[in-house]
Amino acid sequence: MDPILADIYSTILPSAPYLIAAYALLWVALLVYVLIIARGTKKAEAQLMLLEEAVADQRAKGE
Amino acid sequence: MAREGRDVKLPEAGQWPDKAAPVALIVGAVLTTVGFLMAFLTVPPVGGAAVNGVELIGDAMVNQKMLLSQKIFYFHMPVAITSFVALAFGCYYSVRFLMTRARRFDTCARIALEIALLFVAMTMITGEMWTRFEWGVWWSWEPRLTTYLVLMLIVIAYFVLRGSVDEPERRATFSAVVAIIAFIDVPICFMITRLIPSSIHPVVLREGGMSPEMGLCVGLVALGMLCIAFALYRARFRQVRLTERVEALKEELGD
Repeated sequence: MDPILADIYSTILPSAPYLIAAYALLWVALLVYVLIIARGTKKAEAQLMLLEEAVADQRAKGE
Repeated sequence: MAREGRDVKLPEAGQWPDKAAPVALIVGAVLTTVGFLMAFLTVPPVGGAAVNGVELIGDAMVNQKMLLSQKIFYFHMPVAITSFVALAFGCYYSVRFLMTRARRFDTCARIALEIALLFVAMTMITGEMWTRFEWGVWWSWEPRLTTYLVLMLIVIAYFVLRGSVDEPERRATFSAVVAIIAFIDVPICFMITRLIPSSIHPVVLREGGMSPEMGLCVGLVALGMLCIAFALYRARFRQVRLTERVEALKEELGD
């Protein structure tokens, strides 16, 4: 390869791992937060369903 | 909590922002994807140190090293801007809480600070990768990095404080004060590279270091990140309100 071209492109390959890591970690952080929200919502919805059943049972007993 | 819900309009899940959130998420995903593609495919790479000679690449004469690491900037700056906006909302809701004593505003402030912490972490991660490659170190006590680290520590302190005070009213009041202090650090963080010119952190906006293509790319990603942050805020708010309803129902059934 032409030495001037090699010099121009000399930082491309060494910087690639840092660039890939920056973008990957950025999206991983977002994904983790989305998963935390999704897990919390699922848990709350499941609990709400159980509570609604408990309320229905109490009403049925009351009648 | 006497005035809660009586004379103050409180934010609630299921209102119009929740309907806008999925649209914001899609718009955010599209804009960040377009920004990502632009950063690597259409925006020309930035030149670094000069080389001994000149080469014709495409239709341009190049006499500098090409910096691939600079591509981190196209997401680094937008996530930093988004963290500042989230802190502004956190401050707004904290002030609203202190004015009204309505706990709903405390919930909103907490979620805004969560979003801020997420984006602060993302800014730190992307910044660290750039620092490691360009400056050859994992950390430098450079003014911008230091003030941003202080900002991150204040946001972390906000959650440590929340975890350590049991009484809800006191917890919300102390937290509101810390959220306001965190926001005070935002202009300091932003202006520090201008106030201390010896700083090695680039001052892109002041120096006019962005070409129109770079500006467009950063603008699109910033807009996309703001949309994503809004969608995440609404999703988290909906989840927290649902959890609060479950807890209230549990208490009611327990009685």
